[in-house]
Amino acid sequence: MGHDTGTPEKRRALPTTTANGGRATTARVPRGRQIHRTFNNIKITVLCGLVTILVLRGYIGLNLGTSDADAVNRHLIEETNRILAEIRSDKEPDDPEDQSESEINPNVTYALGPKITNWDQERKVWLDQNQQFPSHVNGKPRILLVTGSPPGPCDNAIGDHYLLKGTKNKIDYCRLHGIEILYNMAHLDKELAGYWAKLPLIRRLLLSHPEVEWIWWMDSDALFTDMVFEIPLPKYDGYNMVIHGYPDLLFNQKSWIALNTGSFLFRNCQWSLDLLDEWAPMGPKGKIRDEAGKILTANLKGRPAFEADDQSALIYLLISKKDQWMNKVFVENSYYLHGYWAGLVDRYEEMIEKYHPGLGDERWPFITHFVGCKPCGSYGDYPVERCLSSMERAFNFADNQVLELYGFRHRGLLSPKIKRIRNETATPLEFVDQFDIRRPVHGSNGSRS
Amino acid sequence: MLDWCFGPQWRWRLKRFFRNGKVTILCLLLTVIVIRGNLGAGRFGTPQQDFIEIRDHFYSSGHRSEPRRVLEEAQTTATATTTNDGDSNSYEQFDINKILVDEGEDEKPDPNKPYTLGPKISDWDEQRAEWLEKNPNFPNFIGPNKPRVLLVTGSSPKPCENQVGDHYLLKSIKNKIDYCRLHGVEVFYNMALLDAEMAGFWAKLPLIRKLLLSHPEVEFLWWMDSDAMFTDMAFEVPWDRYKDHNFVMHGWDEMIYDQKNWIGLNTGSFLLRNCQWSLDILDAWAPMGPKGKVREEAGKILTRELKDRPVFEADDQSAMVYLLATQRDKWGEKVYLENAYYLHGYWGILVDRYEEMMENYHPGLGDHRWPLVTHFVGCKPCGKFGDYSVERCLKQMDRAFNFGDNQILQIYGFTHTTLASRRVKRTRNETSNPLEVKDELGLLHPAFKAVKVSSS
Repeated sequence: MGHDTGTPEKRRALPTTTANGGRATTARVPRGRQIHRTFNNIKITVLCGLVTILVLRGYIGLNLGTSDADAVNRHLIEETNRILAEIRSDKEPDDPEDQSESEINPNVTYALGPKITNWDQERKVWLDQNQQFPSHVNGKPRILLVTGSPPGPCDNAIGDHYLLKGTKNKIDYCRLHGIEILYNMAHLDKELAGYWAKLPLIRRLLLSHPEVEWIWWMDSDALFTDMVFEIPLPKYDGYNMVIHGYPDLLFNQKSWIALNTGSFLFRNCQWSLDLLDEWAPMGPKGKIRDEAGKILTANLKGRPAFEADDQSALIYLLISKKDQWMNKVFVENSYYLHGYWAGLVDRYEEMIEKYHPGLGDERWPFITHFVGCKPCGSYGDYPVERCLSSMERAFNFADNQVLELYGFRHRGLLSPKIKRIRNETATPLEFVDQFDIRRPVHGSNGSRS
Repeated sequence: MLDWCFGPQWRWRLKRFFRNGKVTILCLLLTVIVIRGNLGAGRFGTPQQDFIEIRDHFYSSGHRSEPRRVLEEAQTTATATTTNDGDSNSYEQFDINKILVDEGEDEKPDPNKPYTLGPKISDWDEQRAEWLEKNPNFPNFIGPNKPRVLLVTGSSPKPCENQVGDHYLLKSIKNKIDYCRLHGVEVFYNMALLDAEMAGFWAKLPLIRKLLLSHPEVEFLWWMDSDAMFTDMAFEVPWDRYKDHNFVMHGWDEMIYDQKNWIGLNTGSFLLRNCQWSLDILDAWAPMGPKGKVREEAGKILTRELKDRPVFEADDQSAMVYLLATQRDKWGEKVYLENAYYLHGYWGILVDRYEEMMENYHPGLGDHRWPLVTHFVGCKPCGKFGDYSVERCLKQMDRAFNFGDNQILQIYGFTHTTLASRRVKRTRNETSNPLEVKDELGLLHPAFKAVKVSSS
């Protein structure tokens, strides 16, 4: 600022402006001084103006483009919000409330369906008449893997993502071993909802598919981690149910986790239908399930207090009617038909180093089952980070076995990206012979139709 | 000295001091505001972030944080949503990026060499024939007119950006599993990016090539987009019709060869035979794919050459249209552009007619009366934004899913209460003679699943 040049003039100007402040003084103020003062005022005005604009710009945004995008954003947010709430809600707008369905009579034992007593004969007759749908294909019994999840979205998006990965994992195993998959998303029986929903479903499938020899139920939170291992079905020729568990825990300790109903096999026969009928009565929701839960908590070791679940009910049934049922139930623990995840997931690197797929046991678990994680819900029994990172590791551990045929592997057990482990060649078939899990080299059978 | 401090000069100096001070302070303020506006002041963030935080403070966090996760970048989400440290068992605010580890380096392609999908193979037919002979347990035909088919689909290994995207992917794969189980088709669900150069819609090319070469027993590879659903569970693809062709896509000859229309065919659902010709066409198709400059430039060529194509990078569909239109003599003979049934059915013209179809027609037709595939092009349920309204897309995907699912459920005596409802109701009571029950569509034990009865 040129205060030096203005000094002599100001000395004269100041007294006049402060004294009068009116029009009369303007004639006496020299021109140059006037201009200078005007400039000063303009400077300050411009600076103030700039400050205002910048403040406005920074906070509100004078750019018309951003305000448009904001409006569009807001509209999309509102619309998405509304739709997500609608999709998530249980209420169906067009669905008439089914009032005609009467309450379950607690005095009458719940039945899955009309009693069938000659299923073995009927099935045999059907198989004879329908030779084009045999129960054994290429020497192997026909297996149907059944799994499922609720029809609506999970409470959180990550739950659906892991359901998707779990499904891919099952598709991969079943493709390699000629097993069919049925993914259920329907509640066939309102009374038996939740973990009990598998009972009416299994019964329905046994009766509809006489060509299926074994029905294999698998929870949605169980992942295959040994892609080579095959269930040794000939071992179970005299049995009708194969379930993972420990006889000691079952009969001596009566523990509620002696068996695991997250992964088990049922032969398609009369015995299975009868067992399902005996198993179901504790299932109907409401008073029956709650009361049954109390009985189970009282009789099984370590069981917390909650409504009756299918696993505890089965254990209780097999303990109390041991003579009637146990001769046809194979309690398997020589391989992980169900492998509790917590003791397995940290050892994957060690397994990769020391062992190889095809063992199915603690050296290379057949199935890693994420009990308690409940990623489809809002809360699990374990910290979320531990659960999800373990599931990701198990998924990639299994996926590596599938990708090996194609010459790839995940960069790390937590990495979604893959890296090449074999260069492309002009004669790819030599590797197909070496690495395809279905090839005789690995000991498994040949084709499926 | 005293004279300088007090006296008439003093007031004048003071006034001058203040005037200069005013200007100085204004300049200082200006500078601070500019810096604050552009760089932010540490933990206070930029004014925009301030605004967002203030807005959130006044609105309930429950409502706003969810859609923000839908539509904003993951970084903003990570900074804005405060993690509840004491609540680590809750899935609500979990950020997947906390557990996924991005390690290793991407393969750096040689910029001087033109892109190839892999080493050139010229004798694939012979190699494959030899293999099939040595492996009679893996025939390429599983029935008299039934080739071994592998249905290939896939999605990203990371969670969808959209809140419900993964749920719709799950429903879509269940739908495909159902169709494939009924028709004896194998499924391959891909979640791996085999070649970083060919990311996005081009990712199917290296995957298809890899699968053809690794599965010589597969006769036809059926690529299907993740946003396409089967809506006719009873329709069996007429394999016999294609015995002299190697590539079957839904489309119209006139629209490709005469009009060069960019939507004259659809690469969201197509059949490709496992043979040398297919490897060659994949090699001819690939060059427009590598991301970056190549794809951008190719996009411009395609927009210029094809009818109605908007301006964007090269996509596999436009590239195929261009390839066929310009090299008809070379490829046209073995390409079958099918339009007698909906190998790909654009959802916009189909979804509103489902009730009418249920009233007037029956499954097994595969065409406009009862489409085989309903393809939700443009909906992008896994991404942030689609080309259509979110509500219309998601609701119609639900309807299409239920429309297909009803055909599966009726096998077991159930159906959805309405096309919009997740609930099911019984259509047939349980009986004590389950084997006498025949499902209407004959899908329980369909002819196309029958095993060859060995003459004994």
